Amino acid sequence: MTTQAEALDFGKQANKEARQKKTVSSLLRYLALVLIGLVMLAPFILATVGTFKTDIEIIAFPPKFFPATWHVENWVKVWNTDIGQGGTFPRWLLNTGFLAVTVAFSQVIFGSMAAYAFARLSFPGRDAIFNFMLGTMMIPGAVTLIPAYVLMTKLHLINTYWSLILPGLVGAGSIFILTQFFKSIPKDMEEAAVIDGASHLQTFRTIILPLARPAILTVLILQFQSMWNAFLQPLLYLNSPDKYVLNVALSIFQQQYKAQWNYTLVGAMFNAIPVLILFFIFSRYYIEGVAYAGIKG
Amino acid sequence: MHAEPSKPKQFHALPSIITFVSIFVVLLLIAVLNAPTMGGPKVMNSITVFFQEVKATALPFLAVIAVGAAVIGLVAARMINKVWGNTRLRRETLTGFAFLAPYLLVTLTFTIGVVLFAFYISFHNYDIFTRPTWVGLANYAEAFKGFSDSTKRDFLQALYNVLWYSILVVPIQTFLAIQMAVLLNKPMKGKQIFRTIFYAPSVTSSVVITLIFVWLYLKGGYINALFNSIWGLFGAKWTTVNWLGDPRGLIQMIVEALGGKIPSTQWFFRGPSIAWMAIMVQNIFTTVPTFMIMFLAALQDINPALYEAASMEGASPREMHSKITLPMLKPIISLVVVLGTIGTLQVFDQVYLATKGGPLKTSLTPVFLIYQEALGINGPIHMGYASALAFILAVIIFIFTFIQRRGIEKGTERY
Repeated sequence: MTTQAEALDFGKQANKEARQKKTVSSLLRYLALVLIGLVMLAPFILATVGTFKTDIEIIAFPPKFFPATWHVENWVKVWNTDIGQGGTFPRWLLNTGFLAVTVAFSQVIFGSMAAYAFARLSFPGRDAIFNFMLGTMMIPGAVTLIPAYVLMTKLHLINTYWSLILPGLVGAGSIFILTQFFKSIPKDMEEAAVIDGASHLQTFRTIILPLARPAILTVLILQFQSMWNAFLQPLLYLNSPDKYVLNVALSIFQQQYKAQWNYTLVGAMFNAIPVLILFFIFSRYYIEGVAYAGIKG
Repeated sequence: MHAEPSKPKQFHALPSIITFVSIFVVLLLIAVLNAPTMGGPKVMNSITVFFQEVKATALPFLAVIAVGAAVIGLVAARMINKVWGNTRLRRETLTGFAFLAPYLLVTLTFTIGVVLFAFYISFHNYDIFTRPTWVGLANYAEAFKGFSDSTKRDFLQALYNVLWYSILVVPIQTFLAIQMAVLLNKPMKGKQIFRTIFYAPSVTSSVVITLIFVWLYLKGGYINALFNSIWGLFGAKWTTVNWLGDPRGLIQMIVEALGGKIPSTQWFFRGPSIAWMAIMVQNIFTTVPTFMIMFLAALQDINPALYEAASMEGASPREMHSKITLPMLKPIISLVVVLGTIGTLQVFDQVYLATKGGPLKTSLTPVFLIYQEALGINGPIHMGYASALAFILAVIIFIFTFIQRRGIEKGTERY
């Protein structure tokens, strides 16, 4: 009787120790997570606070975390600054947004058409073209950069948005993600539709597209982000201030206001905030997209 | 409508010929668009001027393409001939190619066409505004002249820099990404929030992150302040570092600390400079989250029964990590290493914004050099030379990724 009670007691104690050990290790884990989170957010936090400092405070050493007074007018000033020839932040936001939205939608439209062909139709040459597409994904961007620029000069497309829209109409990456997703959709519903005499265009529009909403959102967001964040192509192709996209404009803005980091940081915020908001709303799709491209690649 | 029996021997002349002609014409049109004539907006002001230029310089190029286009056209025509008799197959083939047409046109014009053009031009002297002139392999030879003539070492130094970049950045970012993914994969509260916060640096444009880091790296910036206060804790004094302007190399500093010296003629022994390593840190910061997400997705695909079985056998968490987690992650590690290498060998944004290749060219990269040569930032425009550099870089990237894939696949055989 006593031994049994002792054993029970001992068991309880061991359990308690194990539980304590578990709490300690999970506490440590939370500590590590919070620390990493702080490191990841630190540049953003420091920069955001920095936007409210004066030009002297922002480069003072040692830096003080908080400004003496919060200069909200920095934001207003940068918003209204014109670097010449109509180059202002509202204009650049509009340009960048227009390009990113246009390219994202065209990638989805043409990409899902191609993906339907790869995933649902069987015709000679399909697999060869698919492999060809995977092969083109291996071509480094540095190789196409120069000749694409020459082509744009010949076609009179320099300093027009067509130079960024035409090559971005549809891409291998989007087609790949959409093809993988279409393949995972069960075929039953389409078969029923085909028996009812639906054409491929009809099944594509009425059955596949509605079912593929998550994948379409993923591609939409990834493409929006990649166009929003593009730098080298817009730097090459667009050369008048009213045509600039945010990234290019920001690099030129920084050259002009070299000593005034508070203004440059405000500009950086105008660039970062829209994508960050979009990301916090759609983070699930973002993350799925990155994971999808990785795992299934 | 009745099902036609397929008759393989029947020859469908009209559709086959139409297919051949249309494919041949479309491919040749794309080739003419990308024909190696002089560039610039004037060339296409009138069709006659353009065709004069094409006739003057691009006929050999077009002849080669025409042969290729004819072969592709023939293959396509044979295929159409084969499927034409079968109603269902014919319908699927026509729909399939109609759906693929936008992609094929875009990729043939802006990827394949321009790559062929660049390859052709890499054997020429070309400054866009005049006709290309044949120089044979001179552009490729020029790239490696730095071995004998140290004033022409730009490309070799750029390669040297990005090799250090890959060697240091790829392993560190892969390691950190795995650790963060493993940490996030444990069951806990607030997982989504942490995942979102960790991923934020990868969403923001590299221009924004680079500018913020340039500011943090200033002499009076937060990074120096951080070191200053850490050093202060131990009563030592931190000498301010000009992070993005300091050309001292890693190996050079070690040798100098030991009392030695590496002269500037032996720059290739100096290792990555402080400025270059500062850019590496910033790059790792932005790429780790993306790769972390890939690893996290792969971790969630591992069957939990494996861990249960191992823990029943009395395996420690560390053993489980090295015997189950890492082997199961092998394919993703391979992918992340390859993607990381491709990315690091083509660094541009950070260099353009933060250092412009300096100090003492210790942060010069091949893509930045290509950009400079192609636009004539430092002197005349050298399009042909820039294209040659791009192809050399592409070959290096292919070799690297091939070796890495092989190496990692071999490593997997043990398990």
